[in-house]
Amino acid sequence: MSDAETAAGTAAGTAAGTGAETAAGTAAETARGNDPAGKDLTPPGTESEVSERPPVFAVRDLWKVFGPKADRVPGTPDLAALTAAELRERTGCTAAVRDVSFDVRKGEVFVVMGLSGSGKSTLVRCLTRLIEPTAGAIAIDGEDVLSMDRARLRELRRHRAAMVFQHFGLLPHRSVLDNVAYGLEIQGMGRAQRREKAAEVIGKVGLEGLEDRRPGQLSGGQQQRVGLARALAVDPQVLLFDEPFSALDPLIRRDMQEEVIRLHHEEHRTMVFITHDLSEALRLGDRIALMRDGRVVQLGTPEEIVGRPADAYVRDFVRDVPREQVITVGAAMRRPLAGDADSGPALAPTATVSEAIEALARSGDAAARVVDGGRLLGVVDRERLLNVVAGTAEATGMTGATGPGEPPGAPGARAEAGRAALR
Amino acid sequence: MTAATTAPHPPVERGGPPAALSSARGRALGKLLPLVLFAAVLVPLALIRWPGTAWPDALTVDLSAPLGSASDWIIDNRDSHPLFLYFFGHISNAVVLSVRGVYLLLLAAGWAGVTAAAGLIGWRVAGVRLALTAAVSFAVCGVLGMWVPTMQTLALMVVAVTASVVLGALLGLAAGLSDRLYRALRPVLDTMQVLPAFAYLLPVVLVFGIGVPAAVLATVVYAAPPMARLTALGLREADRGVMEAVSSLGATARQRLLTARLPLARKQLLLGLNQTIMMALSMAVIASVIGAGGLGDRVYQALASVDVGAALAAGLPIVLLAVVLDRTTAAAGSGTGSGPGKRGRLGWAVAAVATVLVAIAGRLTDRLDWPETWTVNIAEPVNRAVDWMTAHLYSGVPVIGGTADWAGRFTTWVLDPLRGGLQALPWWAVLLLVAALALLIGTWQTALTAVLAMAAIGVLGVWKPSLDTLSQVLAAVAVTLVIGFAAGIAAARSSRMEALLRPVLDVFQTLPQFVYLIPVVALFGVGRAPAVAAAVVYALPAVVRITTQGLRQVDPAAIEAARSLGATGGQQLRQVQLPLAGPALRLALNQGVVLVLAVVIIGGLVGGGALGYDVVFGLAQGDLATGLVAGAAIVCLGLMLDRVTQPTQRRTERRTERRTGRTRKAA
Repeated sequence: MSDAETAAGTAAGTAAGTGAETAAGTAAETARGNDPAGKDLTPPGTESEVSERPPVFAVRDLWKVFGPKADRVPGTPDLAALTAAELRERTGCTAAVRDVSFDVRKGEVFVVMGLSGSGKSTLVRCLTRLIEPTAGAIAIDGEDVLSMDRARLRELRRHRAAMVFQHFGLLPHRSVLDNVAYGLEIQGMGRAQRREKAAEVIGKVGLEGLEDRRPGQLSGGQQQRVGLARALAVDPQVLLFDEPFSALDPLIRRDMQEEVIRLHHEEHRTMVFITHDLSEALRLGDRIALMRDGRVVQLGTPEEIVGRPADAYVRDFVRDVPREQVITVGAAMRRPLAGDADSGPALAPTATVSEAIEALARSGDAAARVVDGGRLLGVVDRERLLNVVAGTAEATGMTGATGPGEPPGAPGARAEAGRAALR
Repeated sequence: MTAATTAPHPPVERGGPPAALSSARGRALGKLLPLVLFAAVLVPLALIRWPGTAWPDALTVDLSAPLGSASDWIIDNRDSHPLFLYFFGHISNAVVLSVRGVYLLLLAAGWAGVTAAAGLIGWRVAGVRLALTAAVSFAVCGVLGMWVPTMQTLALMVVAVTASVVLGALLGLAAGLSDRLYRALRPVLDTMQVLPAFAYLLPVVLVFGIGVPAAVLATVVYAAPPMARLTALGLREADRGVMEAVSSLGATARQRLLTARLPLARKQLLLGLNQTIMMALSMAVIASVIGAGGLGDRVYQALASVDVGAALAAGLPIVLLAVVLDRTTAAAGSGTGSGPGKRGRLGWAVAAVATVLVAIAGRLTDRLDWPETWTVNIAEPVNRAVDWMTAHLYSGVPVIGGTADWAGRFTTWVLDPLRGGLQALPWWAVLLLVAALALLIGTWQTALTAVLAMAAIGVLGVWKPSLDTLSQVLAAVAVTLVIGFAAGIAAARSSRMEALLRPVLDVFQTLPQFVYLIPVVALFGVGRAPAVAAAVVYALPAVVRITTQGLRQVDPAAIEAARSLGATGGQQLRQVQLPLAGPALRLALNQGVVLVLAVVIIGGLVGGGALGYDVVFGLAQGDLATGLVAGAAIVCLGLMLDRVTQPTQRRTERRTERRTGRTRKAA
């Protein structure tokens, strides 16, 4: 929150709006590259169905301000417009989350990404009121979270949203099995029953044989598997991850990411995933909300974030991402011309640019066809592919893919891009 | 009172001397400047109003008359007034009954049963070694002919510790869960922990009279604070990540406390139990002067007649009891925390059954009391040895002189001039000195407390004896610091030295204050010098330990950097280690002062005189007013000394350091 030069008001609304056009699964799959387990990760149902599903979490105009008389900040336009440094100087308050709105849809992995201090961890804690929001509205399945009484809120935490923490938060005096069963114990489930359930979940996360160990005897990766199992054991509607893998070594982090991908693939559970790691966000996220100084500066698919950064900050952020591995040929292609139909290798619109390059290099053709179910959607030639790699083709997706070539996943979605906010 | 008003002014952020503005000296001068200005105005006024160097009589309040009549009233009404009949009377009866009950139970179990129980508990908690230590220790108590007094002390301990733990845990629980209560309770507990044990005796005696109830209640009041503060600390320090995770799963407040907060605080709770037991033992022995009976009483009686042999025979069981209790509870605290597993429960059941069997066997063979024939009378040989020492070592040893010569010389050359100097100082100068010292090392609040405490001593009319006590404290602290820092530096620099010192420090840190009086009486006879010697020996382990730890914890990178620049060993020590260990050294000073004061006061029992003697005299003569005033002066002196040496950043553990040092190492 220390960054003084906030681009105040940057596209929190517009960014949220772009989320309407989604290609859930697509980007996640492409980001996963050649991972065999990750090949078929699209949740059941077409992408358009995903976008039309009711939101699990609907967040509107959410504020969290820390400090004296925090309440007045969101309500006062003068104060709300200040940058973080100005706000602290004028009021002594720190706005961790400022005017954030988004929907988390059923079955998607919604990633909130930002550097430390951007407010992302506060945001996820507001969802189950581990931190009480200052202003705004949160609904889970249409039910207002902020007006819940204590019993109802407990019920929400017990059954509907379970969280995985960066520092695990395991009880050191209990065995792995009892840690996993803890959530069920709190719900009042009998000992035999909850242990049976816990043993089952332990198998699911690959911790068989370690049931009787204590958390202190496990490696970091194993401890986080326990944390994951504890959250899964209560069979929640939504899993909330707060930078779960940041404390782990890179290789173990990768393992754990695959574990999450696999679980998501098997159970299609809705996930909200907080991370400061861009590659992790791109790997896991169906949609990504990029936060800076408490605001969402851009919300969109990994492809949109990388391909069309909303502002200089995002552009800077994604500068080093290998674009060819994120951007799909569906976004990079141009409209087919007469005669394109016959030559070149055929690719699905969800194929990445790097896959297209590989196909062209192998076949020696000048251009590849983008085909969906036998229908020719468009063409990617070498120039377009090179533009993507070089980063000079930010607009290609928009110009090239209108009209008949529009990907089926986002019917008319771009027309709605102007639907600035979700309200 | 005039000079007292000089302190409460914060160090004004004024310019100060320009060039070396940021230097420590500059800041110290800036801090003291307001004090100097106030003194310049008020001291002449005070001099005109009350000439002379002793505390002016006009400023004293004689409390002995009202206190005497209050004490008389209590004695007259103890059997009739409803407050005593329906409140204190019940407490007193409950205490007597429970101590009696536990005592009878211990006797019924017989020596075999108790020894077996001690061994089996040791086995369950920490294995065979501790089991052997415990069993042998109890057997030695019997061999020394001290079985019955040991059981008396144990019975009193069981009741007092139970009450302390319950009281302390409840207070700690409340303070751990409520911020407001914590803020209110913490300074009280902190202060209670720096007060010498003697200060607690008289108020209890005033209400309950001399006897077991007073002894138990004094012990409870003295021993409950560590339990309370460590419980509160443990509950408050619960890993926030874990607590958040537990909340995120929808736990109720009750579930959070029972399944997470309390288990997470297990280590602190057991450390609190350990400390409470050790402090209770310390007090239970000292409380012999108010009728606790048992081992302490034997030591007290023996010391009164300077019978070192008898004192040692009663003192050894105290030492053994302390070691066994400390090791057992410390082992419980450092355990893996496996909790009552199936095997654990089975083991405890086996231990319980075995104890009962042994007790029954003892009863059937009619061997309940320790057999007379198995006792060894060590008093006589010890006394003979002491007599030999008196004859040969006391004085006239060529070149080095004798112990009595040393004591005499220490008294003549150090204690007397120091006392004379302090008492010759004008009273306002003493107050100014206190204010200046407290300001330099602490904040203006600590300075204010210190000055007010010192002034209160004058108002109470015990200015002279207090300065006598103070002179003994200062001398003892100086000796302690010289030896302690030297030993600490040596231990920090040489691992072999530390390995040698560690077991010695471990044992010495567990011993009750009272037993330190026995060897010094044997060596130096009675007087002020032995009191100072006992205080030095008592305070040394803590000072050595804190110094060693402070030096060892200095950032290795800083030392490495100094070495890479070619610093010699001495340069590293002077320029890197000592400055970086500054906070630890200041803590060592603070602890040293507090611990020394505790024993110097008890030194009143062996001829230390001054305030400690007033307390003992008041108790012995039934002159509670004198004793109470002296007790209040002890409180003020303790408060003043603590505040004057208190490091600016208050450590979370203070007296606690005495034990945590070792616990940390064992972990």
